[in-house]
Amino acid sequence: MLSVIPLLIAIAAWGQDLPSRAVQVLAERCLTCHSEKARMGGVQLTSTPAVSAVRERLLAAIRHDGKIKMPPTEKLTGAELAVLREWLSKGSPWPAQTAAPTAAPEHWAFRKPVRPQASGNAIDSLIQAKLREKGLTPAPEADRRTLIRRATFDLHGLAPSYGEIQDFVKDSRPDAYERLIDRLLDSPRYGEKWGKHWLDLVRYGDTSGFEQDPYLLYAWRYRDYVIQSFNADKPYDRFVREQIAGDELYPEEVEAQQGTGYYTVGTNRDMLFKVEDTNREETLTDFVDTTSGVFLGLTMGCARCHDHKFDPLPQRDYYRLQAIFAPFQKTRVFLHYNNARVYDLGENTRTFRLYETGAQLMALLGPHRDRLREERLAKLPKEVGEAFHTADEKRTPEQKALFEEYAKRVEPGDDQVYAQLSDEENRKLRSIERRLVGMYKTFAPGPFSPGLTDVGREAPRTHMPAKGGNDGEEVRPGFPAVLGGGDIPEPQRDSPTTLRRKALAEWIASPENPLTARVMVNRIWQYHFGRGLVATPSDFGTRAGAPSHPELLDWLAAEFVARKWSMKEMHRIIMQSATYRQSARSTPKANESDPENALLSHFTRRRLEAEEIRDAVLQASGALSLKMYGRAVVPPLAQEELYGMSQPIGNAWVVTQDAKEHTRRSVYMISRRNFRMPLLEVFDRPEGVLSCSRRDSSTTAPQSLSLLNGQFTMQQAQALAARLENAPDAIVAAWRAVFGRDPEAFEVDRTKQFLDKQTASLGSRKAALIELARGLFNVNEFLYLE
Amino acid sequence: MISRREMIFRAGRGFSGMALAAMMQGAQPVGRAKNVIYIFNHGGVSHVDTFDPKPTLKRLSGETVPASFAEGLKTSRIDFRKAIMRGSPWEFSRYGSGGLEMSSLFPHTSKHADKLAVVRSCHGDAFDHAPAIFLRCTGTQFPGRPSIGSWMAYGLGSENRNLPSFVVMSDGAMKSGAGAYGSGFLPATYQGTVFRTGKSPVLNLANPNGVPAQAQRETLDYINDLNRRHYASREDDTTLDARIKSYELAYRMQAEAPGAVDIESESEATRKLYGVGEPMTDDFGRKCLLARRLVERGVRFVQLFFGTNLGDDWDDAHNDLWGSHIKMTKKSDQPIAALLTDLHARGLLDSTLVVWNSEFGRTPLAEGKNGRDHHPYGFSMWMAGAGIQGGRALGATDEFGLRATEHPKTVHDVNATIQRLMGVDHTKLTWRYQSRDMRLTDVHGENEFTDWLLKA
Repeated sequence: MLSVIPLLIAIAAWGQDLPSRAVQVLAERCLTCHSEKARMGGVQLTSTPAVSAVRERLLAAIRHDGKIKMPPTEKLTGAELAVLREWLSKGSPWPAQTAAPTAAPEHWAFRKPVRPQASGNAIDSLIQAKLREKGLTPAPEADRRTLIRRATFDLHGLAPSYGEIQDFVKDSRPDAYERLIDRLLDSPRYGEKWGKHWLDLVRYGDTSGFEQDPYLLYAWRYRDYVIQSFNADKPYDRFVREQIAGDELYPEEVEAQQGTGYYTVGTNRDMLFKVEDTNREETLTDFVDTTSGVFLGLTMGCARCHDHKFDPLPQRDYYRLQAIFAPFQKTRVFLHYNNARVYDLGENTRTFRLYETGAQLMALLGPHRDRLREERLAKLPKEVGEAFHTADEKRTPEQKALFEEYAKRVEPGDDQVYAQLSDEENRKLRSIERRLVGMYKTFAPGPFSPGLTDVGREAPRTHMPAKGGNDGEEVRPGFPAVLGGGDIPEPQRDSPTTLRRKALAEWIASPENPLTARVMVNRIWQYHFGRGLVATPSDFGTRAGAPSHPELLDWLAAEFVARKWSMKEMHRIIMQSATYRQSARSTPKANESDPENALLSHFTRRRLEAEEIRDAVLQASGALSLKMYGRAVVPPLAQEELYGMSQPIGNAWVVTQDAKEHTRRSVYMISRRNFRMPLLEVFDRPEGVLSCSRRDSSTTAPQSLSLLNGQFTMQQAQALAARLENAPDAIVAAWRAVFGRDPEAFEVDRTKQFLDKQTASLGSRKAALIELARGLFNVNEFLYLE
Repeated sequence: MISRREMIFRAGRGFSGMALAAMMQGAQPVGRAKNVIYIFNHGGVSHVDTFDPKPTLKRLSGETVPASFAEGLKTSRIDFRKAIMRGSPWEFSRYGSGGLEMSSLFPHTSKHADKLAVVRSCHGDAFDHAPAIFLRCTGTQFPGRPSIGSWMAYGLGSENRNLPSFVVMSDGAMKSGAGAYGSGFLPATYQGTVFRTGKSPVLNLANPNGVPAQAQRETLDYINDLNRRHYASREDDTTLDARIKSYELAYRMQAEAPGAVDIESESEATRKLYGVGEPMTDDFGRKCLLARRLVERGVRFVQLFFGTNLGDDWDDAHNDLWGSHIKMTKKSDQPIAALLTDLHARGLLDSTLVVWNSEFGRTPLAEGKNGRDHHPYGFSMWMAGAGIQGGRALGATDEFGLRATEHPKTVHDVNATIQRLMGVDHTKLTWRYQSRDMRLTDVHGENEFTDWLLKA
């Protein structure tokens, strides 16, 4: 009420200009969604008749009186509202000179980044400017020990060794820190850490989910492709192209086609019965949601059932994107054409031979099995025998009950059957066994990688859903209107595929796309600082809120493109900034005014991620194997940990034969969709069902129980204790292994006291050292990074 | 100011946090349920053989259904146009003063007929186990969404800071895997904690082999001392403090959880009531008794999954309706009746909602000679306790038991009802994910039926 009088004065002053002003408000606040093209909710506000037709609804919506409130994200200002109300009351006349106005996208993320004026590394000046505005000061540079630990975990997901820390602390060359970053980026450990970030995003898993949770036998080849791509510093635009349309863009390059494995490593329910149409529909939904979220930061999923409620994404745009994937067909990429063919031929023959092997085994063992069963039945009441001799479908309910009750007792076990075999029969059995073993002696995965292509040049039609169960209007493949729109043309006559994904890949991986570079640099930033400049890394829509540092985001995006989309260059730029090198110590003022540390007045301390914890424990115990790549490893778990598996454990948790494999890095451990390794699960490893752009970092009692009492901790504590036993000074050795430093006096005293007590109560120094190791793995200095 | 992370942490430890504040605004808390015991019958229980009598089906046994009834129905193995009708082999009678109709499969539970409010008009569209279990437990057919127990733990927290607020007991091998009680996009704190019936109910609860209590305490004190010293120069970071405390909480759980599951401390009469020690009822009897003990100690949501992918399961009804349903009711009828008796006797039934549900029903039409297939288009569940007026049935399926026709209820209606019975407005309990304020009931739940349940 207070502001009414100045507004009235303002309106009176506009006079003649009212139509222009009103249409300007429309253009700024409404037309992204209500242009002629977008027409969201069936409403367009582009002419006097069009506006008049919805006058009452429009008034209610902008006043936020009714059910529909517009604009949905931020109410019009008092002045804007006053202008529109006045204009609507005058019959909404259009300004003489303007035809239907077209809106530049209102939302910042849909406009191309503008590179701010900045010389050199703009990070520090832009961060510090914001801090000054809020009266905050940046923290001083962290000490060298802290810096190398931070940089090594950030780039490798592992701790630096005691020796590496010493070297760096003593390195007096002026570019010691730059050399450190270079060394870390050159190591293959880098791809293992950053590849895992990407695998979270693309909802990677080694099984399909649902009841059977079957293996995606070759998913690991995509995992290795991702790790190799990061290590090779593959330009991000190329990485995007390979994954979205490697088959169409690089038909001669097998490695690039492996990228299309991206589509295949999510959940799928292809194995379910009689719902092929639903399965395909859900797979398409997954492709649209994951692709738009991961590469573009768009929450297209919201527009599947209706126009997006907050972003200018009409439902039509959703189906235009879906149409791009409509012709998809999952396939195998042949890593070596001839070897792949030979492998298939071998499989073909082997399968045929196996039919006969099965028949031979039946002929050999069957008669003995039958005889043993009959002998046992003969000793039981007559009804039991009758129940067994009646065919399953003819049994009465009583006979069924009898059959079930006696089945276990009557059916002979394998060992009992083997005991019946004559020498001659045993020879036959052994010869069958030898043949079988021979067939599997060199059994190994074939030269295949999971991939995707089109069924052909013709695609199935895509329709909008319509009410009443019938298909709605047919839509053509194309891009969202708010990002410039555009249809994808029909391919040439001789094209083997529709080339729709090729068009999508080129559209996304273009410097002209306002989202692609911004979204990826924001992810890189987030993985370094714990929080993105945009806090919702897979949602750059209007609900995401403004970036904390818009110019910085644009500067990074511009640099990313200018530096040929090199991710390693972005790490260098970010990590060389003073902002990244700040200490984690905060001030009371910063805690008060910026509790989330969005302005970066200091480094944000973080708990290690699930895989980092497991890997760091293995590293400290000395057991870590750095072998790279290959089939998913299944480590042994305690019986109580295997609880809850949806399939028999013998099928679902087939422990890897070679024990040396069990202590490899976590990125190589199997990730079953229905069952996460309990240690990783409890420390917030995502489910791997939906794309995960930001992990939780929870603090719970089950975490403590698991790191304190779990079998894994105990085994690694024993391994570390064995090393400590032989060390000249066990306490120093323990500190170097776990914390990478020498202990302080207090720590030595407290630990001596601890070891004495535990030696007394457990009866041996070895047992006390195990307790020491177990304790140190649970200490915050080990579990947190700062 | 409290950071979001800390808020979540607190909520998980018994403070109700922001969720409660948000959803109580303008809500009309109706129910008085403080706790829920949700019995989920894994595999699919036949409705026309338990709670939904169909005399017409019996009369027309052996014939096919009219084509118009079969249209649009599909399931995994049978063809609705060709399969023949099969009446129930069990007799139905009226029980209790309300005259609720139930089959003869429940000699024990039927004595509580006046406590049971049966819903005969549940329906869904997922006819395979895993999607249907996800649908019932999380509101969508696909994995990755928070389960109802996680939502309630997030919304209401726990009343006992030494025990988790959402506890799950299963037979081990669920067709859905752990996603049925996962926390989806909610923080992992709210995930169902699996309790086993043995001495060590929670994973890693027991000290490692060879580490006696005194040594464990010593190691914890040592960890604590090092952590305190580390914390001394970092006191602005509440998460470090939270982790220090989590070790104390873990220690208290080690102390309290084994007591909570110590069934031997119950009287002989109580154990006998639940059928503990009897071969058929021992396993599920223990679980039901444990559920009562946990609710008594303030655990908010206890979900019992009865049946398994690898052992006995309602789903054996594919080939053997008779044998499977006799076996499964022999194992569960007495324990469930005991649970109702016991909760009532201890004055807990009024504040405890007991839910009996399944992922779907089974086809009124025959599969093979002796079976029934999966059937999500109309099936039954019941609820009791929490002030519910029992002895009645809501809704109906058509005369063949095929489709829910009167007062059809989706999973969202059921879940909205459970939430309202706990005093929570299902439209207000939300979590923002991918730009949307997500709810357990998505945009549905408009046909919730709390008023009917509570109406005298």
